[in-house]
Amino acid sequence: MIDFLSSYEVLIQLTLSMTLLAISLQIPLRMGVISFASVGYFAIGGYATAILVAQQGINAWAAVFLSTILGGVIAYILGLGIAHLNGLYLAMATVSFSLILSVVAVNGGSLTGGPVGLFGVIGPITTWHFLVVVAVVIFLVSFTERGKLSRRFDAIREDPQLAAAMGINVVRYRRLSFLISGAIGALSGSMATLMKSAISPESIGFGLIILALTVIIVGGQGSWVGAVLGSLFFLWMPQTIKFVGTWEPVLYGFIVAVAAVTLPGGVLAVYRNWRYRRTAAKVIAQQEARTRDLAMSGATGGGSGDGV
Amino acid sequence: MVTVSDLQTGSTTYNFEPVLECRDVSVYYGGIRAVDGISLGLRPGKISGILGPNGSGKSTLLGAVTRMVKLTRGDVLFEGNDYSSVRSGDVIKLGIARTFQTVRLLPDRSVFDNIILSTDIACHGQPKEVVEGYVRSAIERTGLEGYELLRPTELSYGVQRRVEIARAIAVQPKLLLLDEPTAGMNRTERAEIGLLLRSLQSEGLTQLFVEHDVAMMVETCDYLYAMNFGSLIAEGLPEDVVRDPAVQEAYLGKHGRKHA
Repeated sequence: MIDFLSSYEVLIQLTLSMTLLAISLQIPLRMGVISFASVGYFAIGGYATAILVAQQGINAWAAVFLSTILGGVIAYILGLGIAHLNGLYLAMATVSFSLILSVVAVNGGSLTGGPVGLFGVIGPITTWHFLVVVAVVIFLVSFTERGKLSRRFDAIREDPQLAAAMGINVVRYRRLSFLISGAIGALSGSMATLMKSAISPESIGFGLIILALTVIIVGGQGSWVGAVLGSLFFLWMPQTIKFVGTWEPVLYGFIVAVAAVTLPGGVLAVYRNWRYRRTAAKVIAQQEARTRDLAMSGATGGGSGDGV
Repeated sequence: MVTVSDLQTGSTTYNFEPVLECRDVSVYYGGIRAVDGISLGLRPGKISGILGPNGSGKSTLLGAVTRMVKLTRGDVLFEGNDYSSVRSGDVIKLGIARTFQTVRLLPDRSVFDNIILSTDIACHGQPKEVVEGYVRSAIERTGLEGYELLRPTELSYGVQRRVEIARAIAVQPKLLLLDEPTAGMNRTERAEIGLLLRSLQSEGLTQLFVEHDVAMMVETCDYLYAMNFGSLIAEGLPEDVVRDPAVQEAYLGKHGRKHA
């Protein structure tokens, strides 16, 4: 176990930070907000932590905490400004937000370390700590995936007008989704920076947006389980297909394309649909049996047999 | 056919306590008067209907009553209290539930989840067992037993409509608004919905019903309003309203006379 941990420690850390980033992307998406700002929050968290720890000498855990708060606050303010935009416009505005931040990082002078970035972001935080942090976030997020909150999220995403008629304050929920997304995204960046002890503009670029998006497309959008599965898949797969040598990127691309086409809604949705089909088949069989019994006994019920 | 002899013709002072009252309700969109000075009071425990051709302002009036549409002028009162400034999301908490013109169900959620959704905020603070009891009772009353675990996509259109009605009545409303609940249904399904509305009425639920199927309106409603160009052109017992020359002229045409 220890051997495994030491040989794959970096990969485990990357998986953990990608899981958080994917969850940050999922939260607004579950309310119908297509936002790519998570990479921007990641950058804010990462650079804030680097500046606080490496330049100001602040305690690492305090820096993680402050960076997370900062990410949430900036995201909330961003949400106030752009949450009313629709679909593609919102997507573009949030992509711009993320890309602008990477430009700011390059041109930030001594504060951001320019194109080289910041080094020496060292704190007493280990991979085990990171694992616990991710577990806590998942525990909290899982509450939004059960019962009332999960129904509200679904209603806001599928039919905001219906949600409003049911008394759900759609605008407030969407703004809140920015806040939570911002905090989790910044936490991801903050922890990732402490793990690597460095951050540079190239680690917060367009590639990260694409990777995070691919993770939730393949893993699944509706649940943290999808974020974990997607992160595991994309970060560990290159390891397992190394034997093909120089063909690795080609095989990787092929697998992604096949997954996108054959797994609508991600691995998780495929599993859930399979489970649902089993329940539905049972229910439908019962209904048919009941209709048959009614017909046999000559009863004319109030339409209990139609529909299936 | 139910004849109701104890109904009085409507006037601005009512000899009953109106569940819902509209006073001079008007909705203008720019120069278009979608709803223009409607005053009406709904009889408690009765099924009232609003009849009118497409574009006559029926749905806008329903929108005004549910506060989804901004009032240009006038007031809406529920059980005697003015709620003209209440947010649309809070209307359900007053005890006014509605169904929509098109089926609006969450596709990836079970019938049970779709129904309990309406209670999440409207019944906030009540114990879980009580709320689930409301949902189960709504399922029974709409004849949806056995469908609870299925998703709406599995159900016929008629059954989906019943899920919508179940979702509306699960919040224990005092008034149920139905926006064309039988649109796109075949005759059998229509008759079923008619029976369902009647059985809800026998439990004392006041209903307001917007529809353009004349036969269905005459069979189901206790009291009928006819609208055209945003105004009421007639009201009274359904048989009288559909015979009214103004209504025949404005809405029914030659085809409608058969029903009258």
